[in-house]
Amino acid sequence: MTIRLGLYATLAGLLTLASCQSDEEIKRQKYITEGILLYKSNCANCHQADGKGVAALYPPLAGSDYLANKDKVICLIKYGLNGPIVVNGKRYNRPMPAQLQLSDLEVAEITTYIYNEWGKETGLTSVTAVTPILKACETNAQQNPAPASAP
Amino acid sequence: MAVVLLAAGLVLSCSQSDEKLPILSRREAVTKVVDGKSVTDSVYQTIPDFAFVSQYGDTVTAKAIANKIYVADFFFTSCPTICPKMKVQLKRVYETFKGNPDVMLLSHTIDPAHDSVAVLREFADNLGVSGRQWLFVTGDRETIYDIGQNSYMVTAQQDSSAPGGVVHSGAFILVDKQRHIRGIYDGTTQEGVDKLMNDINRLLAEYKS
Repeated sequence: MTIRLGLYATLAGLLTLASCQSDEEIKRQKYITEGILLYKSNCANCHQADGKGVAALYPPLAGSDYLANKDKVICLIKYGLNGPIVVNGKRYNRPMPAQLQLSDLEVAEITTYIYNEWGKETGLTSVTAVTPILKACETNAQQNPAPASAP
Repeated sequence: MAVVLLAAGLVLSCSQSDEKLPILSRREAVTKVVDGKSVTDSVYQTIPDFAFVSQYGDTVTAKAIANKIYVADFFFTSCPTICPKMKVQLKRVYETFKGNPDVMLLSHTIDPAHDSVAVLREFADNLGVSGRQWLFVTGDRETIYDIGQNSYMVTAQQDSSAPGGVVHSGAFILVDKQRHIRGIYDGTTQEGVDKLMNDINRLLAEYKS
C-alpha cells in the first residue's frame, strides 16, 4: 500500500515537473515564434534571414563572437549603435538605427530568437531579465544618441 | 518528370527568346519638317544625358553607358529599410554579369547631402564592389530626383514620415543601348531580380542577332 502511494506520489511529482517544463517550453516557443517575425521585419534587411550579414557592410549574427556581449546586444537592438565595432576580427563601421518602437517584451523575443538560433542557447531571455538592462542603457543612449538614419 | 521539366523549360526558353522585350519608355510627339511639310511623329523617350559624380570622384556622363545596357536604381547608404535588400539583390546581378563589357549598373543616391563621394566609395568597397562596372553616383539632389521621376519613372520623393526619411520604389530599371527602358523590376525580391537577370540575357541576345 505504502509502496503504491509512494509510486503515485512519484508519478504525480513527475507529471507536475513535466508540465512545468512544458509551460517553460511553450513560453520559449512563443518567444521564438514572435522573435522570428520581429527579426524578419526589424533586423533581416541588413543582417539577412540566415544571419550571415552582408559582406563588410553589415556584420553577421551567425557565428558572431559579438554575441558574447549579451547586455550590449540587448541594448543595441533597441537603441542602435554608432561607431566602429569588430566582429570575428573584422571591422564594421555603419550606424545601426535605433528601434525605439520595440517594447521590452519584443526585445526579449528577438534576443531569445537570436541566441537560440546563433548563440547556442536553449532557454529564453525573459522580459524580466531584459527590462533592467534596457533601463541601464537608456540613460546612456539619451546622452549618446544613435544617429538618425534619415537624410 | 525530369524530361517533362526539361521539355517545359525548352518551350519556355524558346517562347521567351523569340519575343523581344517591350519598350516601356513613354512616347512623345516630335514635329519635323519633311519635304516642306510639317509632320508629327511619336518617338520613344530616351534617358537624357546626365552628369553625376561616381564613387571614384570623377564625372560620369551618358558616355559611360554608351553602347551598354544597364540597370539603374535609386537608394541611399544609410537607408535601413529596402536598400539593403536591393543592394544584396543587385550584388547578385553584379556577380552574374561581372566582366561582361556590355552590362553596367548605375546606382543613384537620393541622399547626396550625406552620400558624398567618400561615403559612396566606402559603401562600394564594403559591399565588395570594385572597378567601373557598377558605379554609385551622387550629384545635385533636384537633378537626381528629376531624372528618377521623369526619366526612369520611379518614385523618388522625400517623405520624412517614412522609416529612413525617404520613400522610394525599390525598382530596378533595365535600359537598352538606345537608352530606352525595357523593363522595371522589384529590386527587393529574389523573384523580381531573377526575372531581371533573365531579361538582361534576352536583351543581350537581341544585339547578337
